Amino acid sequence: MGNVLAASSPAPPSAPGSGVVQGGPGLVSVPPGFSMPSVPPPSVPGQPAGETGSPLPNPGTYEECHRKCKEVVPIQLEGVRLVVNKGLSNHFQVSHTVTLSTLAESGYRFGATYVGTQQTGPAESFPVMMGDMDNTGSLNAQVIHQLTSAVRSKIAIQTQQHKFVNWQCDLEYRGDDFTSAVTLGNPDVLLGSGIIVAHYLQSISPALALGGELVYHRRPGEEGAVTSLMGRYTGNNYVATLTLGGAGAHATYYHRANDQLQLGVEFEGSMRTQETAVSFGYQLDLPKANLLFKGSVDSNWVVGAVLEKKLLPLPLSLALGAFLNQKKNTFQCGVNVTVG
Amino acid sequence: MAGIEELSPAAGPVETRPPEGEIDEDEDEELDETILERLWGLTEMFPDTLRSAAEVTASGSVTVAKKLYSFSRAALWVGTTSFMILVLPVVFETERLQLEQQQLQQQRQILLGPNAGMSGGMPGLMPPAPVKM
Repeated sequence: MGNVLAASSPAPPSAPGSGVVQGGPGLVSVPPGFSMPSVPPPSVPGQPAGETGSPLPNPGTYEECHRKCKEVVPIQLEGVRLVVNKGLSNHFQVSHTVTLSTLAESGYRFGATYVGTQQTGPAESFPVMMGDMDNTGSLNAQVIHQLTSAVRSKIAIQTQQHKFVNWQCDLEYRGDDFTSAVTLGNPDVLLGSGIIVAHYLQSISPALALGGELVYHRRPGEEGAVTSLMGRYTGNNYVATLTLGGAGAHATYYHRANDQLQLGVEFEGSMRTQETAVSFGYQLDLPKANLLFKGSVDSNWVVGAVLEKKLLPLPLSLALGAFLNQKKNTFQCGVNVTVG
Repeated sequence: MAGIEELSPAAGPVETRPPEGEIDEDEDEELDETILERLWGLTEMFPDTLRSAAEVTASGSVTVAKKLYSFSRAALWVGTTSFMILVLPVVFETERLQLEQQQLQQQRQILLGPNAGMSGGMPGLMPPAPVKM
């Protein structure tokens, strides 16, 4: 949950921020040193804003805010990839992936997913355990579990052959109209190093949600913190999100033109590299033709598209991708075949 | 006496004509310019400002033409490849879908009579996906 290694250049060290102290739903007490968004906290805790009678909806998680726009933009495919998914039972699923590539290593990857029996919703069951092992022995594993009706936890580890590269644990609390999460990344008690990320997202009105993020990282001899604020506005058929932080600005706009066409515009500016990039993406959905087409144009003169087609009588799905960098005149294409 | 006066410089211009046979050689020696050089020499009759303006215009338009040519080459390439990547697959697929539907409609007409295949008869026509937000 969250990009644990997102800490960039250290800002002036503020007091180490831990998670928001939560009481019952609606009670928000902010520990000193944690930067709240510039909106007065609800003066009467526990009551919906404006006392309109209809409660504010839960705003979702902090990472999901930019996701709608990111899903519209195609991913660069490279080489040939064959994925075979097989469901062995209602709870257990296995996947085999063979990757053949010219730029990176070719390999085989085995993945298994177990979904538990505790059902919290029509599509969600917990605990969820996912594991992935490479032919070189690199392991990715995640365990997601719903501890209580409002608290969800996740533990993830990642290894590169036998060395542990990432290990993180996070806890998310969903209140009535807010979500807060704490992530502890790569904690190392012996070295005294680690990363703590705290997220908070609050619904101000049914359309507006504001939130903040605090990243505190520590290594022997060095520590730093980065904060950023985020606002998200949801309209009738659009979502606009803005994130401003010490590391730069990130703004996305997602628009649903009709039930076939979705558009996304993304603007990213980084303080560290002093660069800005704008990208425009669109997604065309033609269920009649079993077709999903995503295209994108970038300010770095990169043009790319991914075409996904379901070859229907068989449970087979074919994805063709092409990315062309007009300025450097480089081209990359790839094929993904998914069975099952 | 008159002969000496004739020969002195004060006597005035004396007309001398070289003998006939030498005229052509001398003229040939003077004419060591090519045709182009002679034509270029004709431009010297125009005033300097006009000449420099014409030169600037000419070289400027040659540069502009070169740039326009290379720009249009690059633009054509960028436009064609971007169109190929962004638009062409969708065009192919929608055309194929239309042809398939036409074919099925024709088949239905043949099977069930001329008024059968029209509304609601096209397979694969699913209700539009609900708007997900």
